[in-house]
Amino acid sequence: MSTLLEVADLQRSFGGGRTLFGRPRPAVRAVDGISFTLARGETLGLVGETGSGKSTLGRLVLRLIEPSGGQVRFEDKDVIGASPAALRAMRPRMQMVFQDPYGSLDPRMTASDIIGEPMTAHGIGRAESARRADALLEQVGLSRAMAARYPHEFSGGQRQRIGIARAIALDPSLVVLDEPVSALDVSVQAQILNLLADIQARSGVAFLFIAHDLGVVRHVSDNVAVMYLGRIVEIAPRDMLYGAPRHPYTVSLLSAVPRPDPAKERGKARIRPIGEIGSAAALPSGCRFHPRCPRARLVAERGGDTVQAAGARLPSICVRQDPMLAPPEGGADAARSTVSASGSRATVHLAACHFPHDD
Amino acid sequence: MSAAFELRGLTAAVPGEKRAIRLVEDVSLSVHAGETLAVVGESGSGKTVTFTSSLGLLPKPGRVIAGEALLEGVDLLKLRPEELRRTRGARIGMVFQDPLTGLNPVFRVSEQITEVLRAHLPISRSAARDRAVELLTRVQIPEAARRVDDYPHQFSGGMRQRVLTAMAIALGPRVLIADEPTTALDVTVQAQMLDLLGDLRDADGMAMVLITHDLGVVARQADRVAVMYAGRIVETGTVAEVFAAPRHPYTISLFRSIPDIEAPTGTRLTPIAGSPPDPARRPEGCAFAPRCFAVSDAAGCRSVRPLLAGVGHAASCHRQSMLETTA
Amino acid sequence: MTTAIETIDAVAEAAARRRAAIRRYTRHPGFMIGAIGILLLVMVAVAAPWLAPHSPTRTDLMNTLARPSATFWLGTDQFGRCVASRLIHGAQVSLQVGFFVVLISLSAGTIIGAVAGYAGGWLERALVAVIDILLAFPSFLLALALVAARGNTLDSIILAVAIAYTPRVAAVMRSVVLTIRPRPFIEASRAIGLTPWTIVLRHVIPNALPPVIVVATVSAATAILAEAGLSFLGLGVQPPTPTWGNVIAEGQTAITTNPLISLSAGLCIAYTVVVLNLLGDGLRDTLDPQMRRNTGKLL
Repeated sequence: MSTLLEVADLQRSFGGGRTLFGRPRPAVRAVDGISFTLARGETLGLVGETGSGKSTLGRLVLRLIEPSGGQVRFEDKDVIGASPAALRAMRPRMQMVFQDPYGSLDPRMTASDIIGEPMTAHGIGRAESARRADALLEQVGLSRAMAARYPHEFSGGQRQRIGIARAIALDPSLVVLDEPVSALDVSVQAQILNLLADIQARSGVAFLFIAHDLGVVRHVSDNVAVMYLGRIVEIAPRDMLYGAPRHPYTVSLLSAVPRPDPAKERGKARIRPIGEIGSAAALPSGCRFHPRCPRARLVAERGGDTVQAAGARLPSICVRQDPMLAPPEGGADAARSTVSASGSRATVHLAACHFPHDD
Repeated sequence: MSAAFELRGLTAAVPGEKRAIRLVEDVSLSVHAGETLAVVGESGSGKTVTFTSSLGLLPKPGRVIAGEALLEGVDLLKLRPEELRRTRGARIGMVFQDPLTGLNPVFRVSEQITEVLRAHLPISRSAARDRAVELLTRVQIPEAARRVDDYPHQFSGGMRQRVLTAMAIALGPRVLIADEPTTALDVTVQAQMLDLLGDLRDADGMAMVLITHDLGVVARQADRVAVMYAGRIVETGTVAEVFAAPRHPYTISLFRSIPDIEAPTGTRLTPIAGSPPDPARRPEGCAFAPRCFAVSDAAGCRSVRPLLAGVGHAASCHRQSMLETTA
Repeated sequence: MTTAIETIDAVAEAAARRRAAIRRYTRHPGFMIGAIGILLLVMVAVAAPWLAPHSPTRTDLMNTLARPSATFWLGTDQFGRCVASRLIHGAQVSLQVGFFVVLISLSAGTIIGAVAGYAGGWLERALVAVIDILLAFPSFLLALALVAARGNTLDSIILAVAIAYTPRVAAVMRSVVLTIRPRPFIEASRAIGLTPWTIVLRHVIPNALPPVIVVATVSAATAILAEAGLSFLGLGVQPPTPTWGNVIAEGQTAITTNPLISLSAGLCIAYTVVVLNLLGDGLRDTLDPQMRRNTGKLL
């Protein structure tokens, strides 16, 4: 399969500069050097906690936020360098579905107008847009009779269906989904996830699926990337990442998810990170996860070169050196943080850790 | 053993255009000291209203029209407003979903905790402050003595939830009601918070009610569970019973619709069609009938309201016997 | 088959929706009183030539300062002109001033405020500086200065008052737009590739308009007051053209002997201000579709 989206060393920091009184303001490095590729028709799941930068990354890819550095190529066109007009011309091919099904629809427009808007904006006549909007309503499981209703007359799940209809109206090749089901009830989530699967099967659209729910991401993704404080710390084909996570952060994330199985939940030995995700305004030195890393503490107990940091004894390399994404065995040539979705995707399992779980 | 907290036939309603709209209907449940009862349901199922109304906190014009809410045998709904207010702070603690709304942004954490203490106890300002530091230490806030004078915005979401928990347990309540206490938190922080709640319950022998929509949280934390749908309890039992062999079609469907992290991949989820009914337009008969896979006119699903049936593990479904034989 | 039925359903639903919207307005007493009050005033102004019993400018020096009578409903002024006829014709000037001031200040203020609020950056800072300077300047003095510079025709008065009121509308518009800009549907509009102008015109302004329309309605009232004030000071529309301000000014000389002249003109102004304010409040309550959210649902 061919590459649809190629992201290289993407960065974005917010703030910085100086305050009114000349004190330097810390810059928040929300996204700090991210690279990945996405093949046509595939889904890359992006998981991370609040503050990991995953939502910012989704917006940078579509250039809804301007990056501070890096490259985005979409369908072999440069997204970052494109002029406003050229970017608008690309928009029909790359769309977005938002987290908030209440806020992302204009309250003063009818369902039909909302779904028809991308079409009218890109030169399709009003009557034709309305006709296609009716068909799209049915495609996402709503009825034509609802075309004249306003957003507040729909339930949360129905609103998200309208948001999805708007995103697929122009038959895009990429849709960025930013927490598309997290605001919905469990029973409705499944409806939306199935709808997305149907749309992908029919149209071959690729998804960049951003979510914090590891179960949801596992269900929808071909490849999964785990983000922590602005970086991808692990990226791999779905079953590899869930079956044999290599990064201690991924391990503790998976261990923390409460599963609907009392027998397993009670007996489970949990691997728990210490404290909470820090702030991207004050990044730790070396590996960003070292202040919370349970594995670093275990490794330090086995001896070797250690230092006292973050209230514990840690291997000094964790505190000193920023780890690169690398495959098992730590091959230097593969230290580039891309997962090639073409051909090699069955084997590439990258993690950015000095002491990954490779046993 | 008598229950620490018990609801009997609680029914709460708001006035509607034609007749009163029942938000929760005939809810009976109980929770014992040292035990955790999980109340599960989707938004609008009445899981929160059940507890706000039993504590006299239901916003006007809603009111309780029937039932009892017994705290160690005393009916809260019969107390005078002043008595109820004292009981609420002291004997029942509450932790809510959004850790920001529970804290006043313009006051220091120390001021907010001492305010709670001094409203109920005859203690000096400095004694109250010492107690506040103790409480923050109990909820495992690092460097509590230093952080006690910080403002709420200086705490992270998880730490704020700990501060609120400290306030909820400040007066040694017998019952702790936690409404979606971890929903706004990240998964690693959620795990820490759930552990903390479990530890506090065990240490003080509190009865705990955990309101949640997450079946994983129930499996991890609770002893017994009550599943609510459209204002009623549709299934209740021990967590082991309900998770091993759910009896109500709604519970069964919920389990099928969750994408679990260890389920076989490549499977399709089985969603529940449609959405929960508007409280003003609940169907006659079983409220779940329009979405139910086992619905049957012959069994009276669309005409007769099913009652909770069963000893211990109970479900309100006309088709229970059919489901059991096919299972 | 189903689609035909669904189309019929959709049409029926749209009609029901329109009826519900109309009912929202008709059931609001303040809005109805204000709307009917304004409608009456417009009818009086339009029908003035037929309604007025006399010419508003014909003087009769034999019959000055007459008491109210069957022929002169409100008596005559010191030039013997019929006060009632002058007030009826005066409504034309007042309504014109109110209408055009609102039209100009609402359109200019809306655009300026929306652009300032949506664009951000240096453009916002520059526009806000201009708005603030104009706001800091007493609007009546500003209008006074403009009229003094341009000469006191009706056009120049309307323009002067409109310029004085535009920054108010713009300031309100900008602050409302600042609350709309971060809402997700604006980002969604960018994501589907709308141009900034389309976003402002199709999404920002329609959602920001309700509070702005309320401000504009109320400024119609103050604009009418401003015109009356200018006329009273002799800087408004020049006599003998009848305006309410002129009538008050001219009645001033006879205020001790015949207070009815100034008083009746004052009452006309007060009436207009009150009905416009009622209308403004009514619009505030009914314009917002968010309000509808609370009527259908109980939770």
